[in-house]
Amino acid sequence: MIEIKNVSFRHENADEGSIHDITLTIPDGQCVLLCGESGSGKTTITRLINGLIPHYYEGEMHGEVIANGLNVTKSELYETAKKVGSVFQNPRSQFFCVDTTSELAFGCENMGLPEADILSRIDKVTAEMNIKSLMGQNIFELSGGEKQKIACGSVSALQPEIMVLDEPTSNLDLNAIEELKETVQKWKQSGKTIIIAEHRLYWLREICDRVICTQNGRIEFDMTMEEFKSLSDEERNAYGLRPLFAENAVQTVGNFSGTDILTLNNFSFSYDKKEVLNIPKLEIPVGSIVAVTGHNGAGKSTFSRCLCGLEKRFKGTVLLNGETLKSRQLLKKCYMVMQDVNHQLFCETVEEEVQLGMNEENAGKVQKILEELDLDGFAQRHPMSLSGGQKQRTAIASAMLADKEILLFDEPTSGLDFKHMEQTAKLLSSLKNKKTVFVATHDPELISRCCTHILRIENGVIDEFTSR
Amino acid sequence: MGRSILQASVTDRGLVLDPRTKILLLLNMAIFVLGSAGGGRVQALTPLFCAMPAVLLLSAKKWRTAITYIILFSVSYVGYAVFGDITTGFLHYFLLSCCGILARFLPSIMMGGYLVSTTTVSEFTAAMLKMKLSEKIIIPLSVMFRFFPTVFDEAASINAAMKMRGIHLGGKNAGKILEYRIVPLMTCCVKIGEELSAAALTRGLGGEVRRTNICNIGFKVQDFIFITVSIVPYVLWILDIVGI
Repeated sequence: MIEIKNVSFRHENADEGSIHDITLTIPDGQCVLLCGESGSGKTTITRLINGLIPHYYEGEMHGEVIANGLNVTKSELYETAKKVGSVFQNPRSQFFCVDTTSELAFGCENMGLPEADILSRIDKVTAEMNIKSLMGQNIFELSGGEKQKIACGSVSALQPEIMVLDEPTSNLDLNAIEELKETVQKWKQSGKTIIIAEHRLYWLREICDRVICTQNGRIEFDMTMEEFKSLSDEERNAYGLRPLFAENAVQTVGNFSGTDILTLNNFSFSYDKKEVLNIPKLEIPVGSIVAVTGHNGAGKSTFSRCLCGLEKRFKGTVLLNGETLKSRQLLKKCYMVMQDVNHQLFCETVEEEVQLGMNEENAGKVQKILEELDLDGFAQRHPMSLSGGQKQRTAIASAMLADKEILLFDEPTSGLDFKHMEQTAKLLSSLKNKKTVFVATHDPELISRCCTHILRIENGVIDEFTSR
Repeated sequence: MGRSILQASVTDRGLVLDPRTKILLLLNMAIFVLGSAGGGRVQALTPLFCAMPAVLLLSAKKWRTAITYIILFSVSYVGYAVFGDITTGFLHYFLLSCCGILARFLPSIMMGGYLVSTTTVSEFTAAMLKMKLSEKIIIPLSVMFRFFPTVFDEAASINAAMKMRGIHLGGKNAGKILEYRIVPLMTCCVKIGEELSAAALTRGLGGEVRRTNICNIGFKVQDFIFITVSIVPYVLWILDIVGI
């Protein structure tokens, strides 16, 4: 049983508390969905349970948390680790080792278990989760879904009674989500108590027994999954939640009027003699918004890198407005808004940022573009101090001023709640008929809200290209 | 996404050395090649030491790195000897310092690269455990070890972003290239480092019990060969000091 008793918490440097006076009891074996807008306190609650608050993220805390008889608030993290296992969202930063076997052993090694015990636990976990074939491999070469399986496995090996998952599907494609679902189901069957903080809700319909929604650091509602299912999508949207049924996503496309054509020729590329992309010819309407979908590792990111001119050995061309663009020119005409937009903000103010690499003729347009993108109030702020969405818009503004014709977005909505996903969709829609936009995404809700075409890439070739 | 050069591959590592041997080799390289300690007889042996990283890199099938190293090192080594006689003035000092620095630093850098790129984090930790080091030293060091590949991956992404913005050597913003690179790199690394530590702590890193390790490391024939070779300069050095 997990008991959270009158807990309030304020991060060290924050003006406002992230949660206020939360009291919650979760009985053994229950599976709880924590939902709510970004910044509403979901993640804070998961951190209270695994002890990262107050032991790692410091701040002002009142109240206490007891997990299966252990006072998490007072105990050291390595004590809590025996009872509470955690899975996080970012596969890049939750692995401590480079190879899968050591990763599964990592937690047990920390507990100082004897070698034979660790090996038998690894055997047991790999058999249960069906990951024997992944052993002894380099984690960085696995797909997103496989990485998340290893993350789950390494937590399982510690045999905790409580599992805490913080947005575990943010970087996963649909298949990988299904696999994660199976893992969580197995945990549930074995009687573990599970808490999942998540924006994507549909995969949890059959798993979770109870839904807790937070807003501004307080519990907005606490109901059974049955009750939650009976809410309408509009009611859920009002709480800032995404649809519970992916197939109910809002369909808004319409008014796409492009007639000009952009032709991709000879888009093929190999790494180490292994062909990862092979698209001989593809015609795309100028001004459309193309969703680029496909499994992790299907060739989407290679496609994006080639289109942006980032691969030096790439020999393909793009025919745009009667001009044939090779790699070098593509670098000038295309711009990618990366998944981690922090990689592409360099300057000290937003104003400087958007003017860096600007076409001099556009000097007069700076103010207008900033206004259009709702950034005019932030012109003198440091880009790193902005919110995720504002950073994304800053990157777009700089692309507009540099006269880029083709924009690529890499997973722009991963880890976003309903409201922010909707904002991104609107932003993308506003680029329609102006720029040709490619969006590499796994998010069906985003696609149904703004994309005009879908390009599905599987095993490096076009599986399907359709207009919507 | 290509794999970073500094990421240890799990299979296909050729000649497997114990991490402790690699650390010893790196130490030797720093003392005798970089620090040029040990007197005349030891210094006569340095070309032999400098060949070691090349052999090891070749055995680990890192062809490109090995060949680049061999060429760069030979050119600077020969250059140091040749340019000294045939040039004068500014050019003389410029070439001499370039070649000198390269010839001196390159072997140690390559050895370090070899150590990082062929040792997994858990092997490294296991080696340090066997050396009976305190966990207070082991944990930060292994975190650092884990962190190298990530830093390089981040740097590659930032580099790509800079290219798309037209910032490159020779471009109009060339002067600010360093600043543009460092700021986002720091931000990203701090963030990843924070998440990485959180994930490790929730799996019990830093507990009071002594860690165990399932990695099979140990000295083999090849280790003894390399260790024997590594001891030679120390012996010569001592002989030199005693005056034999």
